[in-house]
Amino acid sequence: MAYSSERSQEARRSFLDPRTKLALVLVLALFVMGGLGAEQMKPLKTALSALPFLLLLAERQWGRFARGIAMLVLGYGLLFALPYLPGVLNFLALMCGGILTRFVVTVVMGEYLIATTSVSEFISAMEHLRMPQAITIPMSVMFRLFPTIGAEWRSIRRAMRMRGIHLGGAKASQVLEYQLVPMMTSTVRIGEELSASALTRGLGGSTRRTNICRIGFRAQDAVLLLGCLLVVAAWILELCGVKLW
Amino acid sequence: MVELKNVSFSYGSEAQALERNLKNVNLTVQTGEFVLLTGPSGCGKTTILRLINGLIPHFYPGTVEGEICLNGQHVETRELYDTAKLVGTVFQNPRSQFYNVDTTGELAFGCENQGLPAEEIFSRMDDTVGRFSLEKLMDRNIFRLSDGEKQKIACASVDVAGTQVILLDEPSANLDYASTLELRELIRLWQKQGKTILAAEHRIAWLWDLIDRAVILRDGRIVRELRGAEKNALSAQDLADMGLRGTTMEAPEKIQLPTVKPDDETMLLRDLYLRYPGAAAPAVDVPELRLAAGRITAITGENGAGKTSFLSCLCGLERRGKGTLEYRGRRYDRRARQRLCFMVMQDTGNQLFTESVLEEVLISLPKGTQNEQERAKALLRQLDLEDFLDRHPQSLSGGQKQRLAIACALASGREILLLDEPTSGLDHAHMMETARLLQQLRDMGTTVLVVTHDAELICACCERKLEITK
Repeated sequence: MAYSSERSQEARRSFLDPRTKLALVLVLALFVMGGLGAEQMKPLKTALSALPFLLLLAERQWGRFARGIAMLVLGYGLLFALPYLPGVLNFLALMCGGILTRFVVTVVMGEYLIATTSVSEFISAMEHLRMPQAITIPMSVMFRLFPTIGAEWRSIRRAMRMRGIHLGGAKASQVLEYQLVPMMTSTVRIGEELSASALTRGLGGSTRRTNICRIGFRAQDAVLLLGCLLVVAAWILELCGVKLW
Repeated sequence: MVELKNVSFSYGSEAQALERNLKNVNLTVQTGEFVLLTGPSGCGKTTILRLINGLIPHFYPGTVEGEICLNGQHVETRELYDTAKLVGTVFQNPRSQFYNVDTTGELAFGCENQGLPAEEIFSRMDDTVGRFSLEKLMDRNIFRLSDGEKQKIACASVDVAGTQVILLDEPSANLDYASTLELRELIRLWQKQGKTILAAEHRIAWLWDLIDRAVILRDGRIVRELRGAEKNALSAQDLADMGLRGTTMEAPEKIQLPTVKPDDETMLLRDLYLRYPGAAAPAVDVPELRLAAGRITAITGENGAGKTSFLSCLCGLERRGKGTLEYRGRRYDRRARQRLCFMVMQDTGNQLFTESVLEEVLISLPKGTQNEQERAKALLRQLDLEDFLDRHPQSLSGGQKQRLAIACALASGREILLLDEPTSGLDHAHMMETARLLQQLRDMGTTVLVVTHDAELICACCERKLEITK
């Protein structure tokens, strides 16, 4: 059968609408990472924390799921081992464990957003939210910026090993500076070439863009968005001093 | 279709501009014509393409004199997104011309920007995928494609946008022989469709017989235009005089050179083995291999044959890599090889870290070297970098960066030098300069291994050859 881009685009449609994913990232960042809300919010936060992992499973992102769980286990493991550790180690474990348990869940949610949303879907969603191009375009570049920076970073680390510049070597104090110099030059260069290419393909025109992806709210979006609303409502009620349970 | 009348240009404002990048250029390209722009580095061929697609002056500011017309309309006064409907561009660097992360989105991008309805975009995409045989590349993550595949996607996205004029800015610079041939096929399809094509290239052999006209530039002026019989009658000497590369396409695999000769001093690689986690087959598996020491050896092979893995394994950069090297009476394990070998990467800029050329060499010298400053300066003199001691390494030209990286390798006492595609995107003169540099290094006693798909470089300086296959 001949290739049909329309059929394959439909088959690739993500489980959730990008707007739902954005709302979830926001709620997780505020309540789980930012720590808004007191005692009453605890059970809600636990439920929220499980969400990104369930979503990763739903989209068959096994690698990301395993990595997220491993980081979380490590974090709780460190906190659990706390009473048995002496002095400096105790402090280090407290710090690492604290950071991991607090940040991992939200980071995993962000990863889920980036991994399962195409640039086209993202732009489409932002247009539905009536965001101006001045915000949409820089944000959509982020999707490809991280992998690009990652690749450059790995290449520079290799080059440093080749030159014999190691952490803990003779020139340890300057290692960071050495990494940043080529990093900045190449990021600026890539950014410039990227903009030039996008402009020659008509980005930023006055005509209304179209999008080949189909986005839209389905039952699963409704359920999760309702969940987000409930969390916010519960928090407001708590602030007003209403006892919920 | 495209018309440049008395065009002069300089980057920056009139006051700062020391010299013009283009001087009184007159060029008319008919609809359906395929024109090659070539000439030594800095001759202005990329500048001409930028004037046609409107990046000059809208993105790269400068002073433009004369007229540039597309279909009779002035480019300077058109908005970039309007020009985009008429002109599509494929750029040199496969890594930095994508806006999307997935290939399908990338193909649709130009049409989406023009606001075409989705059904129309889908049918255009299916058409392009069919003609370019891209089925295997669709719905893929662009970051996982090879450079050759990325360049194909770049061509395909220009094709989907359906512009009448297509500009190619050194599209083959990062490609191996096989990928270049595939690119050539795509261009032939465009020719049959009657597209107007302008290509700026140093490597001219792969499209020499396709073009209708070759425009040769030097220092911002058109010095010659060649067509038909005149173009085919050029001798190697004529080409060299104009600073051009050869016009016959030669597969690096076809060049006959031995890997070792009976009276060579050799080094012996034993049980070199590397398998990436999750991969079914090893990337490198060399039970025993002899290479010539103190010689220049070319390493050839298709993209993806494992040349880069082989090099990383050899210079000890790959932690999972196993195997030993016997060299000049000593045995080197992986860690020891890190202090014996040095790899000059394709992106030389990523290998230079400090704020001055001199400091770059100083940090490479072993700790406790006597007369550090004198030693470093002597090395820089040998490599013709004496005049640049205080310059910032990132501000040097490509060739100078390459020489500086080599100076660092020599300063740290490495005896084996590996180079990864040192002449991609270089013109004839600079390619010959690299060849002479490699010969100079060999005469100093260094063993040189060059991974390359540049047949001209191999002919110019390599004495031995190793071919890597899957």
